[in-house]
Amino acid sequence: MLKRTPLYEYHIQHGKMIEFAGYDMPAWFTSISDEHLAVRNGAGIFDVSHMGRVNVSGRQSGAFIESLVPTSTTSQPPGKSFYTLMLNSGGGIIDDLIIIKRPEGYLLVINAANRTKDLEHILSHSSDFDVAVEDITDSTTMIAVQGPSAVRALQPLTTTALSEIKKFMHADSVVGSARATITRTGYTGEDGFEVILHRSGIDDNSAALSVWGDLAERTKPCGLGARDSLRIESGLPLYGNDIDETTNPVEADLQWVISREKKGYVGAESVTREMTSPPRRLRRGVVLDDKIPRQGFAITNATGDRIGEVTSGSFSPILKKGIAMAYLDLPFAQVGQLVKVLVRNSPTDGKVVKPPFYDQRLYGWKRTAQQNI
Amino acid sequence: MTDFDVPDSLMYTREHEWALLVGDAVRIGITDYAAKTLNDVVYVSLPPIGRTVERSVTFGSIESIKAVSELYSPYSGTVSKVNSELASHPELVNASPYRQGWLMEIIASNLEDERAGLLSPTEYEGFLSSLGK
Repeated sequence: MLKRTPLYEYHIQHGKMIEFAGYDMPAWFTSISDEHLAVRNGAGIFDVSHMGRVNVSGRQSGAFIESLVPTSTTSQPPGKSFYTLMLNSGGGIIDDLIIIKRPEGYLLVINAANRTKDLEHILSHSSDFDVAVEDITDSTTMIAVQGPSAVRALQPLTTTALSEIKKFMHADSVVGSARATITRTGYTGEDGFEVILHRSGIDDNSAALSVWGDLAERTKPCGLGARDSLRIESGLPLYGNDIDETTNPVEADLQWVISREKKGYVGAESVTREMTSPPRRLRRGVVLDDKIPRQGFAITNATGDRIGEVTSGSFSPILKKGIAMAYLDLPFAQVGQLVKVLVRNSPTDGKVVKPPFYDQRLYGWKRTAQQNI
Repeated sequence: MTDFDVPDSLMYTREHEWALLVGDAVRIGITDYAAKTLNDVVYVSLPPIGRTVERSVTFGSIESIKAVSELYSPYSGTVSKVNSELASHPELVNASPYRQGWLMEIIASNLEDERAGLLSPTEYEGFLSSLGK
């Protein structure tokens, strides 16, 4: 039987259900396009409870996390939430994750599909450290509130002044009737929050359902379809499509998570090697003139030689064009490069861009931050 | 009885398309069931006027943000008209799959013989029920 999140009762009544990472989840509630545009123009809510949440605490939790990721951790200020990667010894990506740095330790938010693998990796490296690792996925709910109106949408549910939580920071709070951790992060490119509700007492989903139901009066409930189209339009990678254990951070265009001076973390030697020379290929965006690109479609140059492949494909409701995330051989990875995408074997004109695909003066969290100044 | 609209005036295929005789031509589209399953049509790929199409062979595709559905012609023939509205308003297929969301018209080359292979409204409803819809 498929796993269910605490919000399942709402989803089966209102959503079109599909299987995702072993969970019974809503693909959409009304339509992917409507939900996508609601997030860009107002606010949408997503049930992301299926993602793994792992607490790492104990005397040496700082040193331990420091040894696990290429991003400097102990130097981050308290209250921080940051995006990083866990690498294997070859420098390939085991997972991408958010780390929430709390007074008592670190809360890791990992991909649902990688939960077992990540926990094995974390535990196998923890034996030299005085730490406790606890998977709190099943005792928590997580709701993402995303869009330029996210502050306004969530504020009625908490006395914490949400405008005081800056981007990539978090606060401990109460949301509805539940103890909560609110981080100003997201997977849509827009301003917004990811709200972790800590369940108290026994198996009771009513607090979580109540928060969701209240939010649904001011926002648009969104499913996994819109979650995917939004993150592609923002240029954010999806583990399994755009990054995996065969891709390194440099070619994945995630070099920025690597703290250059840092040594001694898992994969550090490989990363140092990778950074000494240009990558063979690079993850980029491609916009098509016509048609919609899909995962696995080949990309060629003008003379038909293969130069890359689509790893994620979608249709942008903002641009009203097909868009792709793709790995391109380095000589063809320049912004502005014209390429051909083979859409079911039919060569279609495309242009290489650096995501996000939308105009950041009109959409995205930076324009919201500008407007709030 | 299904939850989907199945007008009496049309003929149907197991690929969830409908066909309607309009003068000399056959007008073709996808059914309410197909439109609801796709849910969010954002792109329609249709052949050019003059292209020959064959019964049960792919002639184009219809896409939502997440999914691609191949289109199969109910009849063999030559494309005489395509719904040019769909290039800028693909959502018409969802809003009105039997009227404004029509896809194309063809001059059928083998109407009498091929008509026997299509489903009546009742047969199509039965087919939908057999799919558990």
